[in-house]
Amino acid sequence: MTKWFRENLWRHITGTVMCLFALFPLYLVLLSAFNESGSLQVTSFLPREISFANFDVLFNDERIPYLTWMKNSLIISGFVAVASVVIGAASAFAFSRLKFQGKKFGIQLLLLIQMFPAILALSALYVIMERVYKFAPGLGIGTQMGLVLVYLGGAMGVNIWLLKGFVDSIPAELDEAAKIDGASAMQTYWQIFVPLAAPVLAVVSLLSFIGTFNEFILARLFLIEVESRTVAVGLQQFIGGQYSENWGPFAAGSIIASIPIVIIFLSLQKYIISGLTAGSVKG
Amino acid sequence: MLIRGKVATTIKVAIVALISALLLTLTQSAFAKKEYVIAAFLAIAIFAINFTYFSKRTVPLKFFLPGILLLSAFVITPILYTVVMSTYNYKTGNYIGKEEAIGRIKALALEPDENNSAFDIVVGKFQESEAILVSDIENKAYFISTSERRFELLSDQVELDENFVAQRVNGFTPLDASEIASSKAATVRYFYNKQYFITVENLNVGAVFRQSLEYLPDQDIFKSLINDSIYRDNGNGNYVNPDDKSDFLEPGWRDPAWFTNYVRLVSDERVRDPLISVFIWTVVFATLTVLTQFSFGLLLALALNKPIRGRRIYRSILVLPYAMPSVMSILIWGGMFNTEFGAVNEILGSDIAWFQDPTFARFAVILVNLWLGFPYFYLVSSGSLQAIPSELLEAAAIDGANPRQVFSKVTLPLLLQILSPLLIASFAFNFNNFNLIYLLTGGGPREQLDGEIAGSTDILISYTYQIAFGSNLQDLGLASAISVLIFFLVASISLYGVRKSKVLESFT
Amino acid sequence: MKKKFFRGFAVLATLALAAGLAVTPAQANTKIVVWADESRGPNLTKTLATKGDWVPGYTVTIKSFANFDALKDAIDKATATTGPDIVVGANDWVPTLAKNGKLAPLTLTASQRARFSASQFYDLSYKKKLYGIPVDVNNVAMIYNTKLVTSAPKSFGEMVDYYKANKTSKSLKAGLCVAGGGMSWGAHSVFSALGADAYYFNPNGTINKSKSFNPNEFGANVKKFLMDGKKSNGFFPATDTGCKDNFLAGSVPFAIIGNWEWNDYKAKGFTMNLMPVPGTSGRSGNAFGSVSGALLTTFAASNGVEAAAKSLLVDFFGSTAGQVAYQLNEKRPPAEKGAASDATVTDGQKGFGASAAAASVPQVGAILNGPSGKSYWDSAPAYWTAVLVDGKDAVTEAKKLAAIWRANLKAAYNDL
Repeated sequence: MTKWFRENLWRHITGTVMCLFALFPLYLVLLSAFNESGSLQVTSFLPREISFANFDVLFNDERIPYLTWMKNSLIISGFVAVASVVIGAASAFAFSRLKFQGKKFGIQLLLLIQMFPAILALSALYVIMERVYKFAPGLGIGTQMGLVLVYLGGAMGVNIWLLKGFVDSIPAELDEAAKIDGASAMQTYWQIFVPLAAPVLAVVSLLSFIGTFNEFILARLFLIEVESRTVAVGLQQFIGGQYSENWGPFAAGSIIASIPIVIIFLSLQKYIISGLTAGSVKG
Repeated sequence: MLIRGKVATTIKVAIVALISALLLTLTQSAFAKKEYVIAAFLAIAIFAINFTYFSKRTVPLKFFLPGILLLSAFVITPILYTVVMSTYNYKTGNYIGKEEAIGRIKALALEPDENNSAFDIVVGKFQESEAILVSDIENKAYFISTSERRFELLSDQVELDENFVAQRVNGFTPLDASEIASSKAATVRYFYNKQYFITVENLNVGAVFRQSLEYLPDQDIFKSLINDSIYRDNGNGNYVNPDDKSDFLEPGWRDPAWFTNYVRLVSDERVRDPLISVFIWTVVFATLTVLTQFSFGLLLALALNKPIRGRRIYRSILVLPYAMPSVMSILIWGGMFNTEFGAVNEILGSDIAWFQDPTFARFAVILVNLWLGFPYFYLVSSGSLQAIPSELLEAAAIDGANPRQVFSKVTLPLLLQILSPLLIASFAFNFNNFNLIYLLTGGGPREQLDGEIAGSTDILISYTYQIAFGSNLQDLGLASAISVLIFFLVASISLYGVRKSKVLESFT
Repeated sequence: MKKKFFRGFAVLATLALAAGLAVTPAQANTKIVVWADESRGPNLTKTLATKGDWVPGYTVTIKSFANFDALKDAIDKATATTGPDIVVGANDWVPTLAKNGKLAPLTLTASQRARFSASQFYDLSYKKKLYGIPVDVNNVAMIYNTKLVTSAPKSFGEMVDYYKANKTSKSLKAGLCVAGGGMSWGAHSVFSALGADAYYFNPNGTINKSKSFNPNEFGANVKKFLMDGKKSNGFFPATDTGCKDNFLAGSVPFAIIGNWEWNDYKAKGFTMNLMPVPGTSGRSGNAFGSVSGALLTTFAASNGVEAAAKSLLVDFFGSTAGQVAYQLNEKRPPAEKGAASDATVTDGQKGFGASAAAASVPQVGAILNGPSGKSYWDSAPAYWTAVLVDGKDAVTEAKKLAAIWRANLKAAYNDL
């Protein structure tokens, strides 16, 4: 018993305290989502009523196509998650495995690019995409396709950097063996390396999925049409208005929006942890 | 097993051809719309794609090219744009290009006559040229006016509606909306008298104006047509009256200012002093954030590194902050820290003004960021912990090290080495963590009455945003210069960090 | 393989070029594009769906943004390529957008001007040129909870006394708070009630260029009514967060609310007991009145629809029929006089109207936006924080505040 205490009690205490810390704000979100007044302020820590009025707004107000927003978010984030990792993994592989001139410079440049405070890029991207709109209205400002391109560009730096760290850890013997067999670098990449790195690629694409799902500043510049908005932009409708804030539907919408991510996380928990493990340890 | 030879090549050719064709279509439509820079970029991209994937000597480039193209278009170009902007006097009042500004000044330099005369009009054609049929209802006077002259009409010549507005007259053909849209009729200046003309104010109203300023392109000056004063380009983006410096024309334009913005960073104390304090807080904020997130994540990872009962449940709960859209969680935290009605004060039984007091506000920012970030570090640390070979730890234990020593001498250094790229990435991310500051405190509190411009929780990027887009005086030039400066600071810190982590690597 | 590829490539290239060179002839633009926020946008669309031919021969396209900030972001960056012809925005955008060459002026005939009160044009003008049409009116008024207070308070002191007497027994969280309009715009009536107006008017309706408030008197009032020694007495919170919720929950007796959300209070069973904030010396606190405007952009001229856009502004946005039709959906108080008297007037709108008639002051962006470098919008909330939260001396801080407001008044001389 004492041994159990010494060994495990602190573990449970730490776990419980941190869980409470993690849950507390989420509990308040739940309270306001199911509270008809939709107040963000605590009037009572116990629910007095359970009302679905806020959810009703999301699903039955013709001006709020919440399900379409949800669909847009999933498609855009899903596409960016997959495409950015496909493109990023190739570069990471090259940085990690191939020998070429200027490799070190390339890696450092990549790191530096990430460091640039991109807040003023807002203006630049607006100008660029507005010009693109002139000759290709389907790709320019105001389109999901344009936004996806911008996201892909933005995701490159981080993803290549993260993936490179993970790729470095995959034992080199395997692909060297393939090389000896006479496979080209491309073949090694597709047929040996990609299957090996699958868990890692999955983790990084999950991270970029979450990042894209949460992004709202660029998205609200790009996605003007109600039907084309993402959840992050659409939900802004309830806050940051000129006059009033409407927390109830915002809280309800956020809860629904987080469900897919929670499901992915929880169902792939083992996989994610092993992916991170595989990735972060040198072989 | 390996796909080789013809099949692979055919697939490759098909994909490359398809992409090239797409890009080519874009290139030529860009060219047709005179977007030459974009057209050139696309043309280079096509060339690079074809060269890379059909040459045998470009193996690394085959892997890099898609990434390079995306990075150049959407990351490097905006960076260059920012650098260029930083050399301009580019702010509210000096926002558009010079040519556009001249056009605007000309368009604004219309002075109404002393009665602010405006008449009901019908836009149409008279004697083959654009003309308006004007009704001066008050004086019951009617006339047709072209750009050259006016033709007086008698009231019995015209067909009036119930408000005594002339609708028709012989020889005058009214234009319908689409005809007006496709002709110049709405932009012509119609003759009123020697001094004044009538412009089409809207489709039914004409207003009487005279031109008050005239632009002389060869001297690049504006000359008043009323009192002979002149306005010269002051070299800083405005036309200014040399006799009276406070008399200038609006709008101005963004003018090259070379290093003025950078000089201001150093010499103008109203810019420099806040920048220094903001920089210090930014470094403190990013460092503390990484430290707290990492140590709490690690602590948890250590605690849950054993298969204790309920570990799955703990783990499921702990990733929730990470799954919740961060916009929402930050705003919820903002509400929780409210002084009068917030949950935090409710629980503590205190009445702390969290966001009005610099120290408390900073504490709150770090705390919220800890909440947002510790699950990530918990996940990566527990992953790495499991991966540390157990033989290493056992060997250390056999050598007589106690658990604390094992942790500090073996586990921690190994972890740090494994996680150093992630720690650096996290530092860089938080250095520019705009959303958190913008949504939680807006950078505040600010001692505005004492003339402070930067808030106590402002980090460089939120401060820059404030300068560029925030207030009524937006200074994009200065904000760009600050961005470039931030870049050099962060870049040197990170390069130093990378070297440091290399040192760690050789150590083990 | 390579040869074949280049052959295919050449064919594709030729096709692409041919397709692109078949240039479509330029068409006359008969489309007017209007940008608006998440509330006004859909309601404008709805209004125009019922009757769309306000400008014969032209169609009107409305683009709604996710919220007001998103709209501001976009209009700040827009150029003629994708920019709107008209933007429905806040009055205080006018000076900045005009300085940046994004707005074009319009001229109204005398009869068109007469449809609005002169002060509404203050908001939408810059350097004597008018840039838009007033669409709806925004103001605030004080509401009191009849379950707590039986009759309208007659002075500021009466409210403070009530709060002190009932703080514990009725577990009040504050006495008076700002629910609508924030601690600068919404709180002006409190400043004014305690003796600090942002600017003063001459009897002839022009702005008094030399008068500013007396910081000693105002500071003394703040100490007397809002402070308990060096600390706030809890009567007036320094932030607006949570005010609405707590008023609705019955834990705050007096609140300053906006006319755009009176329906929320009505829905909770509150009667529209609206009044100006009672002052300390018989005079009520002046609340800001302002308008949202439909602003004409310079892009309208580049798009070749300037005259038509101006027609839309005058004949739809600025006409009785247009505002009645629009406010039927949007349900804000219309700015146009005919529409204001024509619209089905609710008790909420009546109450705000009466309160505004008793004590209001037009919002003059040229002064308030901080031509001297520090704006009213930033300095006003900073005062409340400095005094009520940080416990700084109310008079000393009031002197700083007065200096800022005076500097702005002076710097705005030329623009008025």
